[in-house]
Amino acid sequence: MMRRCLFPIVAGGLVALGAYQATLLATPYALMQAALKKIGNRGPENQFAFSSMTTAANQTIVRPSPDLAYAACAFDVSKGPVLVDVQPVPDHYWSVSIFDARTDVAAVRSDRDTKGKAARLALVNAGQTAPAGYEPVRVGYDRGLVLIRILVAPASTFPTIDAIRRKSTCKQL
Amino acid sequence: MKTWHRFAACIALGLVGGAAFAVHQVRGGLSDGMVEIGPWETGKSFGTVDANALTRAKVALSGLLALPAKEAMYFTATRDSDGRKLNGRCTYVVRGGKLDGRWWSITLYEGEGWLVKNAANRWSIPASAVATDTQGRWSFTVSPNAQSGSWLPTGSVDAFDLTLRLYHPAADIIKNPEKAQLPIIDRKGCA
Repeated sequence: MMRRCLFPIVAGGLVALGAYQATLLATPYALMQAALKKIGNRGPENQFAFSSMTTAANQTIVRPSPDLAYAACAFDVSKGPVLVDVQPVPDHYWSVSIFDARTDVAAVRSDRDTKGKAARLALVNAGQTAPAGYEPVRVGYDRGLVLIRILVAPASTFPTIDAIRRKSTCKQL
Repeated sequence: MKTWHRFAACIALGLVGGAAFAVHQVRGGLSDGMVEIGPWETGKSFGTVDANALTRAKVALSGLLALPAKEAMYFTATRDSDGRKLNGRCTYVVRGGKLDGRWWSITLYEGEGWLVKNAANRWSIPASAVATDTQGRWSFTVSPNAQSGSWLPTGSVDAFDLTLRLYHPAADIIKNPEKAQLPIIDRKGCA
């Protein structure tokens, strides 16, 4: 009896290990796809969508910060590099981060890195090159997300910050 | 039972069991298996290619789009400083000192990381909202009821967590997060 059950049990154990690992590996892709779809619903691909300040009533992504103004661009470099120009907001923390389809960070640049100047990034895949004047950021997957964070403190500064951040662009070359 | 029946049953059980165990582990919370500092927990590899598959999946579920430590560190507390689960019907005083970074805020979440509806429309306490004494010490109250001074409402939810964001943390904290001096969460009473 034991011998007849041994091989099926071993096979089941191996399949369980595989299913466990496959589920872990698939989870970030699936959640990023869902996020890209949500952001895609708010604006075209390769273009920033500028969110209002996050409240309990308008949460799109898990664990948002109500102190930050966000702008998000769902990018796709399959048809060419995507250029990201981030307008600096003086005297406020701001950063731009590039997330790939696996949720890993391909690059982060903040006002500390640029010394308060604009960030100019070119998202490129393995076969593409960045145009002059842009820092190349090689992404492992064609699709992903660009996210700008700007600290809004005090809250009354939001209109001023909003006007500045809307000068930032995300566009296909 | 025929041989192929046994194989089919075991493989089906393996598929369902393996996937279910993975989901259970991923849903087990953001903080499992990470660095503990009092009631706070954090990870060293959020958002980086160094993260293992389980950490990456957990962060994607409970903190999608988290930044790597050189830019920001995230410390999450699901319990008070005496180890009791944070309860939205209780009142807490959060006390701390200077945090070694450029800017910080503490945000209250429920579930997998959602802001809680509350009448005051307040979901976080940023560094700029607390009064500090000459030694740099500060405090605020977390409570379902309005409080004098800085107050973070719980919305009376069953359970919540607090996430401390520290932007541009000092190199020492990035290297040794377990040595960070983080706030105390002191429970005062429950309704």
